[in-house]
Amino acid sequence: MAKQMTIHLRVWRQAGPEAPGRLVDYTVTEANEHMSFLELLDVLNEQLIGKGQDPVEFDSDCREGICGSCGLMVGGIAHGPQRRTAVCQLHMRSFKDGDTITVEPWRARAFPIIRDLVVDRSAFDRIIVAGGYVSVTTGGAPDANALPIRKHEADEAMDYAACIGCGACVAACPNGSASLFTAAKIAHLELLPQGRVESERRTMAMVDQMAAEGFGDCSNHAECEAVCPKGISVAGIARMRRAYMKGVFAG
Amino acid sequence: MQTVSNGRLDAKVPAGRLQDKWDAYKGVVRLVSPANKRKYTILVVGTGLAGASAAATLAALGYNIKSFCIQDSARRAHSIAAQGGINAAKNYPNDGDSIWRLFYDTIKGGDYRAREANVYRLAQVSSNIIDQAVAQGVPFAREYGGMLDNRSFGGAQVSRTFYARGQTGQQLLLGAYQALSQQIAAGRVSMLPRREMLDLVVTGGCARGIITRDLVTGEMERHVGDAVLLCTGGYGNAYYLSTNAKNSNVTAAWRCYKRGAFFANPCYTQIHPTCIPVSGSYQSKLTLMSESLRNDGRVWVPTDPADQRAPEAIPEEDRDYYLERRYPSFGNLVPRDVASRAAKKECDEGRGVGETRLAVYLDFSEAMRRLGEQAIRERYGNLFEMYERITGDNPYGTPMRIYPAVHYTMGGLWVDYELQSTVPGLFVLGEANFSDHGANRLGASALMQGLADGYFVIPYTMGAYIAGADLPADVSDDDPAFLEAEADARVRIDRLSTVQGDKTPTEFHRELGAILWNHVGMSRTREGLQEAARTIANLKEEFWARVRVPGTSDTLNKNLEFAGRVADFMELGELMACDALRREESCGGHFREEHQTLEGEALRHDDEFADVAAWEFTENGPKMHLEKLSFEFVKPTTRSYK
Amino acid sequence: MTSSGSLLLKALVSPVGRKVLTGITGAGLVIFVIIHMAGNLTYLLPGSDPYNLYAHKLMSFGWGLYVLEIGLATFFLLHAIIGVSIFVRKRRARPKGYKLYKSAGGASRMGLSSRSMIYTGIILLVFLVFHLISFKFGPDVGDGYVAIIKGEEVRDLHRLMTEKFKGPLYAFGYPVIMILLGLHMRHGVWSAMQSLGLTNPRITPIVYPLGLIMGAGVAVGFIVVPLTIYFTPV
Repeated sequence: MAKQMTIHLRVWRQAGPEAPGRLVDYTVTEANEHMSFLELLDVLNEQLIGKGQDPVEFDSDCREGICGSCGLMVGGIAHGPQRRTAVCQLHMRSFKDGDTITVEPWRARAFPIIRDLVVDRSAFDRIIVAGGYVSVTTGGAPDANALPIRKHEADEAMDYAACIGCGACVAACPNGSASLFTAAKIAHLELLPQGRVESERRTMAMVDQMAAEGFGDCSNHAECEAVCPKGISVAGIARMRRAYMKGVFAG
Repeated sequence: MQTVSNGRLDAKVPAGRLQDKWDAYKGVVRLVSPANKRKYTILVVGTGLAGASAAATLAALGYNIKSFCIQDSARRAHSIAAQGGINAAKNYPNDGDSIWRLFYDTIKGGDYRAREANVYRLAQVSSNIIDQAVAQGVPFAREYGGMLDNRSFGGAQVSRTFYARGQTGQQLLLGAYQALSQQIAAGRVSMLPRREMLDLVVTGGCARGIITRDLVTGEMERHVGDAVLLCTGGYGNAYYLSTNAKNSNVTAAWRCYKRGAFFANPCYTQIHPTCIPVSGSYQSKLTLMSESLRNDGRVWVPTDPADQRAPEAIPEEDRDYYLERRYPSFGNLVPRDVASRAAKKECDEGRGVGETRLAVYLDFSEAMRRLGEQAIRERYGNLFEMYERITGDNPYGTPMRIYPAVHYTMGGLWVDYELQSTVPGLFVLGEANFSDHGANRLGASALMQGLADGYFVIPYTMGAYIAGADLPADVSDDDPAFLEAEADARVRIDRLSTVQGDKTPTEFHRELGAILWNHVGMSRTREGLQEAARTIANLKEEFWARVRVPGTSDTLNKNLEFAGRVADFMELGELMACDALRREESCGGHFREEHQTLEGEALRHDDEFADVAAWEFTENGPKMHLEKLSFEFVKPTTRSYK
Repeated sequence: MTSSGSLLLKALVSPVGRKVLTGITGAGLVIFVIIHMAGNLTYLLPGSDPYNLYAHKLMSFGWGLYVLEIGLATFFLLHAIIGVSIFVRKRRARPKGYKLYKSAGGASRMGLSSRSMIYTGIILLVFLVFHLISFKFGPDVGDGYVAIIKGEEVRDLHRLMTEKFKGPLYAFGYPVIMILLGLHMRHGVWSAMQSLGLTNPRITPIVYPLGLIMGAGVAVGFIVVPLTIYFTPV
């Protein structure tokens, strides 16, 4: 039989963007090792509604680790203790019966809190709008096989393209930097011939936008890579810097 | 249910040979001059493959676009979760594929319940999608020579599936999202995330706007446009547990139904056989694993229902490899619906495994002995990892447990060849419409259809509408139709918040899901469907008397959002049962126990039911309209997987 | 200013530009400390001549020395200013911190070294001032610190060193500071390489341990001399 557990939660509650927030203690007695962490919060919310209290607001959608909607600091670590796992796929078997788990929202000036654990990550969209695309419109594309692409480059591009835009990199970064997110898109497109065409322009525009959004500087702690649910490498950040310098010096 | 009527459903299929229809259409379709396009505003609801590709393409053509999504970012639409791949009739492997063959496979796979002309067009533009995606920087898998790799998918006899690891949907969606971002940067798209469409505004006989709720502030917004594109996905979440995302819902489509758009074939739902089973009542959603697993995995249950041994301890003679036994030639590779029903049958008869007894084993031990563990790791490593992450079991050592789950809905709003619904100016794209997949969708075809609609069909048909319609320019957001629609939406929201009963929206949703799963699921009977209609009606009544939505409507309040969606799912559920009851045959995703062969296979009745049932909303209950399907180019045959 | 000039300036103050500058100056300073350390180690050679000769050779670079010194000072200042600005921005980027925060381990390079860069950096800067006052601008030939090498009067830096490190404050204070320098380099070496875009997944596993080796090496190299002086009986 599945192991039953009692879990104590300390959850950040904040009624609105300007409201003061605080950690509130809850206990869920009917936790179970096969439950996902978000399902634990679901159970907590059903309890709270039953008691006439406001449920804990948090973002989640696909619950299979690909949409990037969810993101919580669980026990002080972005997405919790299990490596390469978004919090929606973190299961309670990663915890012990009787554990106390602190749950906080992503914290960064560029990710203002909307309510409880929900933050506004639209800064990421604006970084993509600044240049995170190949400037082609529909129609007129050459045959897909017209341009051979080295397998290892296509594979490496895919490694970076796997980014789900969850924001864990920012949340975990001691500096609140968005370098890994920005670099992942830059590296993905730069590794492909279709994207290389405007690589320098793209890189400079996206880096400038990243700064304008109020993200911090990168200090190469690589904590971002450690929490990334897709394990995106900080080598992408090195790649971004090369492309940026090429943009500066090659005009 | 009211009487059958005919005559309101003109599919507007161009005349001529199947191969020439789309070209002929494009050749004569009216165009909007480039200088005029910017005078028109198109509202695109949803940013999945269909919505994002349509918004980006129409914006590039010069239209003003307002794009809406329910998530916090356009990049998170549920298309992102598609794993396997996307079909295209490129015939790169030179293995005999062609536009015709993709067309034929899709029609046949859909059990002859799709419109030939639409499906042929889908196959025709499929190749352009791959070209477009590559140009956008979608990192499809490649071979050492630098060319694109293809694989065979879902039992197809040719390798026509393009893929990007197990994340094809994600990569195609990011490609479309990037194209959308490019148009946002160009100032032609205004992007409105965290918005839920709560009503369609019809005035002067045409769709001219939508009412949305800002999910952060709770504010109601009126948006005026010259056309509305509904790209809001399927309704699989009616079942509560499905592989859909938590926010996937039918509300926008349902509001359109209530405003005059017909809902076609709501009973067609696809159930995917290889999902991770439910582990408990707290389960919030189901996770699919690629059905490629059945290429090497063998499905079995213990012969003796009382067998409590660990699966690896059960000897061969005490195992029932029921698919291999019942379908000797296809074995474990029978189509999705057959595999799903067979699993259900085993569990219904008490041979299910695991704690909930709602699972069957998928065993790789024989394949690992034959090919070596390394070969299995290379093929399915990421899936095994996912399985272990969710269940805590290591599938290299013990068989996987799988169970079917609702995955895709073939039904949706009725559209004609131009993807226009029965409300002029309301176009429906992607999974939200009913077209192309008939009664059952082939693997790797959902991505194809969403992008075909958005990149290559709507740009033409939208022009035809705009150039041909009489669209008064002076419609403003204080038009009575807007005020009325907004007031209606407000009333619904207020009603939800004022009941203050004792049951949560989730509890109601679970109950609805159980009813639909049991009676409008993999296998349906007349009595069951009647029972479903009755119990859903009761549940609906109970809902409005007992639902409890905490909090207020002027802040972020996800329970309020969910409650509204559950209310719409209940109404849809009734229509699903009604449609399933009417369809006295078995086809694709709709299996009626009354209609099966002696061997227990689905039995179609082409003479009576080669049609599309499109339901019109009326105050006195749904009214059915029929679009008869004529098969001019292919001849319906009966499947056999024996 | 020309547009390309302003582009360059803009680029240099961008998040990437600042990191590149930090990397370049950091790499320059690493080279400097290694040379400095090698020079110091000549103290351990027999007699006072090798060390004084080394110091004298250095001084006789003439104007070249001034160029080097100005360059070095610029590097120090740039490195420090950008370092402080990164720290300030970091505070601004997350005005409200976490109640609970932990490293996830694994691929993370976060640790005492990386988290303390600003503090070790500031301590090193303050130390530098005292260090320059003590040695660079300390007692010279005019103050009687004279040694004769090949008939030429040179500054007797050997004597100055010996005197200073006979005192426990210098003998033990310096090693503490040098441990901090090693700690700074432990993250700094890898960080500079990464900032300059010189890393990739294949070489990073080599570069990262290099920081530890270099940091430890430099610290040990610098500590040997003061401790030797202190513990060597007169």
